[in-house]
Amino acid sequence: MFFALTSDQQAFAATVREFVADRFDLDAVRAVVEDPDGDGHPLTLWKGLADQGALAVLVPEEHDGLGLGLLDAQVVARELGAAVAPGPWTTTVLAAEALRLAGSPAQQAAWLPALAAGETVGTVALRGEAGSWDGRSGRGITVDASGERLSGTASPVDYPGVAGLFVVAATDAEGAPGLYLVEAGAQGLSVRDQRTYDGTARVGAVELADTPGELLSGGTLSGGEAVGAVTARGAVLTAADLVGVAREALTRTVDYDRDRKQFGVPVGSFQAIKHTMADLHVGVTMAEHAVLFAAHALDSGETGDPATDIAVAVAKAKASDAAWAATGAMIQFFGGIGFTWEHEAHFFYKRARRRAPLFGSADEHRERLAALTID
Amino acid sequence: MDLSYTAEEEQFRTELRDWLAGSIPPEWAEPGFWRSLDDDESFRLRREWEASKTAAGFSGIQWPTEYGGRGGTPGMKAIYDEETVRAHAPQTVNVLGLTFLAPTVMAIGTPEQKSEIIGPMLRNEVIWCQGFSEPGAGSDLAAVATRGVRDGDDFVVNGQKIWTTNAMHGDKIFTLVRTEPGSERHKGLSMMLIDMDQPGVEARPLKQMSGASEFGEVFFTDARVPVKDCLGEIGQGWRTAMLLLSFERGASGVGQYTEFRRQYDEIVEQMRRFGRSDDPVARQKMANCLVELECLRYHAMHILTQVEQGRDLGSESSMTKLQWSETFQDLWEAFDDVLGPEASLERPRPDVDLTPYQAQAMWSRSVTIWGGSSQVQRNIVAERVLGLPR
Ligand SMILES: Cc1cc2nc3c(=O)[nH]c(=O)nc-3n(C[C@H](O)[C@H](O)[C@H](O)COP(=O)(O)OP(=O)(O)OC[C@H]3O[C@@H](n4cnc5c(N)ncnc54)[C@H](O)[C@@H]3O)c2cc1C
Repeated sequence: MFFALTSDQQAFAATVREFVADRFDLDAVRAVVEDPDGDGHPLTLWKGLADQGALAVLVPEEHDGLGLGLLDAQVVARELGAAVAPGPWTTTVLAAEALRLAGSPAQQAAWLPALAAGETVGTVALRGEAGSWDGRSGRGITVDASGERLSGTASPVDYPGVAGLFVVAATDAEGAPGLYLVEAGAQGLSVRDQRTYDGTARVGAVELADTPGELLSGGTLSGGEAVGAVTARGAVLTAADLVGVAREALTRTVDYDRDRKQFGVPVGSFQAIKHTMADLHVGVTMAEHAVLFAAHALDSGETGDPATDIAVAVAKAKASDAAWAATGAMIQFFGGIGFTWEHEAHFFYKRARRRAPLFGSADEHRERLAALTID
Repeated sequence: MDLSYTAEEEQFRTELRDWLAGSIPPEWAEPGFWRSLDDDESFRLRREWEASKTAAGFSGIQWPTEYGGRGGTPGMKAIYDEETVRAHAPQTVNVLGLTFLAPTVMAIGTPEQKSEIIGPMLRNEVIWCQGFSEPGAGSDLAAVATRGVRDGDDFVVNGQKIWTTNAMHGDKIFTLVRTEPGSERHKGLSMMLIDMDQPGVEARPLKQMSGASEFGEVFFTDARVPVKDCLGEIGQGWRTAMLLLSFERGASGVGQYTEFRRQYDEIVEQMRRFGRSDDPVARQKMANCLVELECLRYHAMHILTQVEQGRDLGSESSMTKLQWSETFQDLWEAFDDVLGPEASLERPRPDVDLTPYQAQAMWSRSVTIWGGSSQVQRNIVAERVLGLPR
């Protein structure tokens, strides 16, 4: 039994952590937050991450990647979450995952090396406006009878403004779902900036009007399975980001309340605070375990195995709740200063709150668990 | 990550499964079976079955062979916990002795204590009780007032213990006693191994809210305890007590998960039976229990890894206790939430007997109290893990 990260994985985490701490501290984050018109994609951070191999983790070696697993990738996601770092890391990794899982060798060769090197930013558009992540209530984008032209709207899409490649989930003329590649600048493609309170990201709607797209096919997975697999990976990487946010929020709050004095004593000596912190510590730790387990399940499990589906749903539900709770507590237990714009608590809170519903909210994942164990 | 057990451990699983399959009558799997017996009969049956398990070599899984154990790995212990739950094996009747006393004796007992205590315990010839709590000393264990006064080769003990599990079945009781007159708190205590079969010791049952009498009170009136029956040094009872309690750490999350997960499925079955399985609120409630249960399983794998790597779990065990006890309690509160008024009826329909479930639901109120209450565990996590000031 070895339920832990290997020393290599721990060393990788430390490298990413040190790099981000060194080159992209909270002042740098603030600069991005306070420039909502900017693209939210600081190149120093991006280049550095590429140098660390953080974009190449999951890309197979034959396409200039590291050929590692989600367990390694979640290490990066956690550190970026802890640093509330902006940028299109998650979406680029997911676009590459779509290619790795569903693309033909030619499609992979055309895109994976550039994605792994950070030369191309990728993003994924999996959900129709006000639709559901699992596609049950219809996708926003449809494909015409030729199978090559896409129309409709997907939202929310992370970092559409800087993406060179879009992986779009769409329904074809027969009603079958699939993943399609759409290049930036394609005819009929437009991006509508949607603005979000989470200044550590940039989000928009992707609108397609008879836009040329290429079906990802010839890989291991296709159709709905491919869409589901990318969504599941999105859920786990987002959950990893969220536990990074949650752990850091909790650590900062504990540090502050150890020192902050009221009534002549540190406020952290009050049991109301202690017990809340203890429960949060348990919750965040459980969420960390759940992310590890789900990443491992996806790395090793068969697609469509209910046990893997359960693991993914548990991780995303638990991480969403834990991050929301820990970052809400951060504001509460910093007191008034935690509610100010100058303080960093809102970076954590807003990032957690915006990401909690991505790739399925806690409620949606719990409903999935109910379907898997009650029906 | 490698979530598998070794080939040797899997081999052990197969042998254990075979033995369990041949030794557990099918009716033991019925939810109401153990409750259909009276307390003494149930205890006797479990005591005998467990002794046969020891004879078959399936007790003391991780104990050294010199003590009659199997000399197995932590992985085998986890497998043991999982398989015994799967097979509907009854709970051990000697839980306090096996969990706490035996490892403490192996660590600090005299050679005589080692040979006299462990074998008979393993064979269920001697049932052990834990005499820590007193009316005035619960969470605050250092407030124990039961006193022992030296008289020749004996201590003479007077005082009272309370909420003593198995008080009415116990043969002996490991007891925290104040042996230095006028001493306070953690000082001047000794751990005594007291024979309950003597005129100076009287056990009285206490009826629990569930209706059962699994615990009781133990009164000491000039009870005599030979000095050689102190465990650890005289006057160092606190240290012995802390060592003893540390063996709760690593308690089997794998087994608990297996048991609670089955209970989850049983509740789901009742949901279906009473037409509640489509209710979206009930589904959310149950699914949230499942989230916490699965987390308990992952946590158990994490703990097992730590143990296999030889790490000291320290205060992390407080987190384990919080996760399993709170999750178990939530699960059994969900039972009522999802079933509605039917949940409280013994026989909502002539063919449906809910009493075994209600017994679990009532029992679930105790798990956040014993073994260090949830509040005490949160204090430990906050102070010793997170470093918040006292
Ligand atoms: C089913 C069962 C079996 C038991 N078996 C045994 C046994 O075999 N042997 C034995 O010795 N004992 C046994 N006990 C006793 C158990 O160990 C005690 O009940 C437990 O330690 C709590 O002590 P108490 O009951 O005196 O509660 P108290 O300590 O009086 O606590 C009352 C309330 O105050 C809270 N509290 C206490 N201290 C603090 C604090 N510092 N901060 C915040 N809140 C606090 C507690 O959490 C609790 O909610 C058993 C109890 C039960 C319920």
